[in-house]
Amino acid sequence: MAATDNNRDANQRGASGQKLSFSNRWRAYKSHHRITLRTSFNKMLHEPLQTILTVMVIAIALTLPAALYLTVDNVQQLGSNFESSAQITVFVQKGAKTKAIQDLESQLTTMPAVASVDYISAKQALLEFKALSGFGSALRYLEDNPLPAIFLVQPRVEGEIDLAETKKFVEAIGALPVVDDVQVDMVWLQRLHSLIEMGHKLVLALGITLGIGVLLVIGNTIRLAIESRRDEIIVVKLVGGTNAYVRRPFLYTGLLLGLLGALIASIMLFSGLLWMSSSIENLASLYQSQYRIEGLGVAGFFTLMLLGAVFGLGGAWIAVGKHLRDIEPR
Amino acid sequence: MIQFDNLSKRYPGGFEVLRNISFKMDAGEMAFLTGHSGAGKSTLLKLLMLMERPTSGNLLINGKNLNRLSNSQIPMYRRQVGVVFQNHQLLLDRSVFDNVALPLQVTGYPASEVGRRVRAALDGVGLLDKEQQKPMALSGGEQQRVGIARAVVHKPRILLADEPTGNLDPELSTEIMALFRRFQSVGVTVLIATHDISLINRMQLRIMRLEDGELTDDGGGYGGY
Repeated sequence: MAATDNNRDANQRGASGQKLSFSNRWRAYKSHHRITLRTSFNKMLHEPLQTILTVMVIAIALTLPAALYLTVDNVQQLGSNFESSAQITVFVQKGAKTKAIQDLESQLTTMPAVASVDYISAKQALLEFKALSGFGSALRYLEDNPLPAIFLVQPRVEGEIDLAETKKFVEAIGALPVVDDVQVDMVWLQRLHSLIEMGHKLVLALGITLGIGVLLVIGNTIRLAIESRRDEIIVVKLVGGTNAYVRRPFLYTGLLLGLLGALIASIMLFSGLLWMSSSIENLASLYQSQYRIEGLGVAGFFTLMLLGAVFGLGGAWIAVGKHLRDIEPR
Repeated sequence: MIQFDNLSKRYPGGFEVLRNISFKMDAGEMAFLTGHSGAGKSTLLKLLMLMERPTSGNLLINGKNLNRLSNSQIPMYRRQVGVVFQNHQLLLDRSVFDNVALPLQVTGYPASEVGRRVRAALDGVGLLDKEQQKPMALSGGEQQRVGIARAVVHKPRILLADEPTGNLDPELSTEIMALFRRFQSVGVTVLIATHDISLINRMQLRIMRLEDGELTDDGGGYGGY
């Protein structure tokens, strides 16, 4: 009788099933994660062709927008190189008094948006013109110097140029006394900016489209994996496995696929840049430019890996979620 | 322990599988659920497993209304229930040990505890020496016993069995029923769905008979048919 009582007691304990300490549960939880990661990885190795195909599709889908992003980024870098050398030429009215010119110079120098100011007097300008233009002898016939004195104003540039600000700035200079005219070539800057803006939008559109593609590809791969483990899922659910438990192996598979895809995308981008860099440097040297192409960088690499992970987990989540909803009781 | 309260289940097509079912089972009680195939036995077990939900009426387990359990609470509930399936539902790519260990693993038992309990359960069904084999290498009766070991390894309060002796010879059937008796003797509520008349006749147990979705007979005695 005593034995039966003991058994009954043990049974009641077991039945309540909640006698597991938190630390035990935590350890079992961690070990399940470890085991699941290992089995997911092994399962992928067991189907190498399927895995390689999926990973390559993900890699290509990540490489395309990333490559476009790098292109736009580099064009922008190139643009900002030009921007920083963008000068504003301020023409002084002819016959302005020396005092007025000095006043103008100090006014220009004290403007907050000005980095530096160079004064080129009318005489200097004429000398330069004579030396550079080759019209030196012809100029001797001119009675007086036709060239105005100018100020070369270097605007202070921090990061990107704000075109609206620049315009205001130019107008402010134009309003100063004895200023005849202000010239800045803004049109091509504007063009470059709108081109870059379009490029960014293109990257975003392409990124979203191909991101959805990656989600679908991973979702489909996971769906196939679910099909082959349908019985297992049902049994696990019937013996009290939670949705999280069922989801876990598939999430790991998705995560691994996404990370591998991102890794291969990074390698493709890196080797692509390496391949192109010599011709780009040639081109740059023809333009006497010291321009160096910007690669993915460490931050870019981790961003790409993060994106791969997010897409991998997301695709797996959607696929498993749909399946789990299908087997909920009604 | 189990209480059906005027429960009905209708499928989307309008077909009513169960109609106004009411009965009670006490803790530690063992009963047969019988009736022709299609009479609703499996559906009744599925309701107890929360694989289905009733269209109307209530199902109370240990005083708790299952209708009030959300889908996310189902796993916790199922951990108190053990099920022996007709087609045993073993995972063929895993060893006997891993199959039996599954209910413990999903609950988060540490590996040492899993090993101890799985061996105890396998010992109980006389299959301790087969733990490393794959289910396909076992006979039908042995597979069924693995299924039973899996159903009881987590010491459930309720044990449900759907045609547990389905394609077994009488001798094996008797063995399996003896196993169920042992669980009953330690306080488990056991409900066995079967249309194995000879089996029912051999045991003096409460018999509930379903006919076209209605409970037509509920009582002890022999020869439900």
